[in-house]
Amino acid sequence: MRRLLFVFFTALLAALFVVAMWQDTNREWTGYQRRFFKTLASDERRNVPGGIRQVIVKDLNRVDRCTTCHVAIDKPQLALAEEPFKAHPGKYLEWHPVEKFGCTVCHGGQGLATEVKAAHGDVPHWEEPLLRGSLVQASCRQCHGDLKAIETYAPTLVQGRQLFKAKGCYGCHAIKDFGQTVSQDLTEIGSKSYLLMEADFEMMEEPHHRIHWLMTKLRNPRTLNPGVRPEALPPGEEEVYPSAMPHFGLSPDDVDALTVYLLSLTASDLPASYVTHEPPEPTPVYASSVERGKAVFEKYGCAACHGLGGVGGRRNWNAGLGSEVPSLMYVKAYYGNDVERLKDLIRHGRQPVPRADATRPVPGLYMPTWKDRISEDDLDALVAYLLSLSDKLPQPPAAPAPASASATPSDQSTTPAASSP
Amino acid sequence: MADEKFSVKQYVKKTKLWKSIFRHDFMDTPRTRLQRVFGNVFLHLHPVRTSKDAIRVTYTWGLGGLSFFLFLILTVTGILLMFYYRPASILAYQDIKDLSFAVTLGQLLRNMHRWSAHLMVVVVILHMVRVFLTGAYKPPREYNWVVGVLLLVMTLFLSYTGYLLPWDQLALWAVTVGAQMAANSPLLGNEGPFRLPFITPFNDARFGLIGGTVINDATLIRFYVLHCIAVPFIFCVFVCVHLWRVRKDSFSKQTGEKVDVWPHLVSREFLGTLLTMVILFVWSMVMNAPLEGQANLNVTPNPSKAPWYFLGLQELLVYFDPWIAGVVLPTLIIIGLMAIPYVDINPKGVGYWPKMKWKRLGWLPVWVPEERPFAVTVFMLGVIMWFVLIFIGTYCRGPNWEWYMPGEPWSYRRLTKLTLKNIPNLWGSLILVSYFLFGSPIPKKVKEWLSTKMGSKAPALVSAALHIGLGMVMAVALFVPLLTAADADFPMRSRYTTLFEALGRSINSPVVSWMYHLVQQFGPAVGYAIIIPMVGLIGLCLGGVGIVFAKFKDRLYEALGPIKYAMVIALLLMMTGVLGKIVLRLLFGVKYLISLPVFNFNI
Repeated sequence: MRRLLFVFFTALLAALFVVAMWQDTNREWTGYQRRFFKTLASDERRNVPGGIRQVIVKDLNRVDRCTTCHVAIDKPQLALAEEPFKAHPGKYLEWHPVEKFGCTVCHGGQGLATEVKAAHGDVPHWEEPLLRGSLVQASCRQCHGDLKAIETYAPTLVQGRQLFKAKGCYGCHAIKDFGQTVSQDLTEIGSKSYLLMEADFEMMEEPHHRIHWLMTKLRNPRTLNPGVRPEALPPGEEEVYPSAMPHFGLSPDDVDALTVYLLSLTASDLPASYVTHEPPEPTPVYASSVERGKAVFEKYGCAACHGLGGVGGRRNWNAGLGSEVPSLMYVKAYYGNDVERLKDLIRHGRQPVPRADATRPVPGLYMPTWKDRISEDDLDALVAYLLSLSDKLPQPPAAPAPASASATPSDQSTTPAASSP
Repeated sequence: MADEKFSVKQYVKKTKLWKSIFRHDFMDTPRTRLQRVFGNVFLHLHPVRTSKDAIRVTYTWGLGGLSFFLFLILTVTGILLMFYYRPASILAYQDIKDLSFAVTLGQLLRNMHRWSAHLMVVVVILHMVRVFLTGAYKPPREYNWVVGVLLLVMTLFLSYTGYLLPWDQLALWAVTVGAQMAANSPLLGNEGPFRLPFITPFNDARFGLIGGTVINDATLIRFYVLHCIAVPFIFCVFVCVHLWRVRKDSFSKQTGEKVDVWPHLVSREFLGTLLTMVILFVWSMVMNAPLEGQANLNVTPNPSKAPWYFLGLQELLVYFDPWIAGVVLPTLIIIGLMAIPYVDINPKGVGYWPKMKWKRLGWLPVWVPEERPFAVTVFMLGVIMWFVLIFIGTYCRGPNWEWYMPGEPWSYRRLTKLTLKNIPNLWGSLILVSYFLFGSPIPKKVKEWLSTKMGSKAPALVSAALHIGLGMVMAVALFVPLLTAADADFPMRSRYTTLFEALGRSINSPVVSWMYHLVQQFGPAVGYAIIIPMVGLIGLCLGGVGIVFAKFKDRLYEALGPIKYAMVIALLLMMTGVLGKIVLRLLFGVKYLISLPVFNFNI
């Protein structure tokens, strides 16, 4: 009996070892390689080594095993139509030789892995999932400081950067040394750990990673931070407002473009030989101080809170003036006689914002200090622009005079169009 | 090829080469059975013959041998892993990834190392429990029990140092929890109570453990050397001593006829190791060792948990300051375990499992062993407490260390607001002192003196008065401050002026809030008329518990003498004190009994 058990367990152990060995030699990647090699003639096979293949890029501190399955990525003459045996599209590999760049530096994913899911980064505890579709453009900016030069190849990235400026994101967020500090610094948002993102993790659908977080946030900033109503809190606890970030109503394309741009903002320590720098922008020339003021208004991101063209309408919980950021259309009526007071308000900001209900917490948005950011000349131009905004308001009906009766209807029809861009 | 006159087998056996290696015949004769054991360097660890009952599987369950075998597996897999591992923070994590994805059988190797380590911790603890329950630590084997406790400590330390090596988030933060406990050592820790004047973050106990003020490359290389060389070396020395003492002190079970170790014991050992190996193999093929993201000091996972075998201590951090939960209690546990054979003078119960029996303790039916009811009950209470705390820490604690049922989804939004208050120091000291006085016996001489002076019933009366008195003092010393003391946090951190109101309105002190609502609803007269008898009743109950054990305490004192008795009763009271503190915290919302923030000293 005992002898039988001896034999049985020893045989079982041997069998287990064989099974383990078999599993080890038949891992996922071997199937792909076998399928690929079957399609090749024997003389073609000689040029393509089997086994785990890796690209070691010392400069970038990367080891990428992607070519283990993507065997023909740099051999268009051998490529098949199906994944993963396609050759890399376009001339990108000519410009970025695989041995100098590897794969993951542009495409993300887990270069060391040899299993599909793990390699594409679709597993827990890997922060860099594969950058699919247009997201891959985010990687261009690591080296290409001059985005205009690569606009044809990275249109979404360039569009994202334009959107970032146009929506006035700089009004609250800083990137490197430009932008306000009302909210998070975005200088390294593209490589920030997901766990450090400000989020209610329950509000987030799967998958839990940075890209999905950014997209959800941009689609509607309040999805991830819906706040906590006082009813849901223990008595005596202060309520939490939803995210103060305005809801910009971005289209899906805009969301993609902004996500690409934000992902491109990474902490990178690439060798200098890889990097090109952005050429300085030419100094613009303005026809009038109002036009210059408009440029200042857009450059510093005032539009994010005060609305495009200063029309207002942005929610600011519990702020005076109807829980909104004030519109700028009536600046002239308030400050027309005392421009210095308006300038001081811009210089020093307004913190904290007056509350509608003094028992509730302070509003999330506030007017930051601009005195060290906007130069005095720019400030003058900005004030001129702000005072000109009320011109676009519908004029009060003029005194009944027979001469102007024909002009009034056309005035009213043009004003909304003028204020909308 | 078998030829009558010439066979290859016979020829080979006659060669000089064969004879120089194999010194004896393989026929199953009594002679070769002996030769196999004492002619073999590995097997001669065994005696040649041993009693039949001692090698019965259900006596030892082979736990000691399996511990040793798991140590061997760990050594072998560990050596193989060392070929692929470089202990530097920029390389370590990558090497583990390589093991998982590129090295032939690398993942299996890592899994096996990890799972055998977990299994070894379990098996070593079970081995200790077995040795305790079968009384195998009793004379002449006291010293070997102490060596065994040291081996347990080293097993835990080996696991702990190995935990850091993958250099992932799990490793970093588990080790952080342990390192912070070191920083809270009394006297020697920078954050501990009564810090010595020359102690800074740069020379305290944590600095010594992790080789710096934060966990970094210095820690990694330190833990690597400890894990791969230093601790295994010492471990081997102690294993040698341990096994040698088993031989010298003889095995704890000597009944039954003598049988040959070869094949009776050796075959059982071989089967046991085979079975373990099969289990480990299947386990390692089915389940991968965890590996989280690369270690990042800027990203703290919530919750951060220590390795499971230390989670009981981490769970105690809820109820105690780190210097107690992380330093004093583990030290006391180790010292207490080592002291067992020296304070347990009961000669019974050696060589067989305890026979359990239903008995009556007063009116309470209890399931206790016939021969060593006190020792077995106390020891098993400790072991069960340890594992219950581990279970709670592992499965019932979520973000912010909030309580969750196993399987309940975690919520990062949930934040229970706890109102915890300190009892004023004088009252708290009174509770503590009377609690420890509970352990005091009434020696025979005092009893005799009392009965000669005041009649034969006096000793019993004095004993009853003492215990009821102490119980009353404890109840009063707890409830009086809860009902009347001012809230020290008022007005900075508390809106209420008294502890009674602050705790009465909180959600985490059911007893106090019950009393508070009583007083609010029925008015002070009726309320206190209910509360005061209730306090008296609690005092009586505590005193009653004392009276139930009074006779036992006196007998124990007479048997052990003052020093051993003091050790036993102090350790026992500290163990139940842990439970008491948990009760105080959960039912009364009491945080500290004694709090001296100046010295960082809180109990």
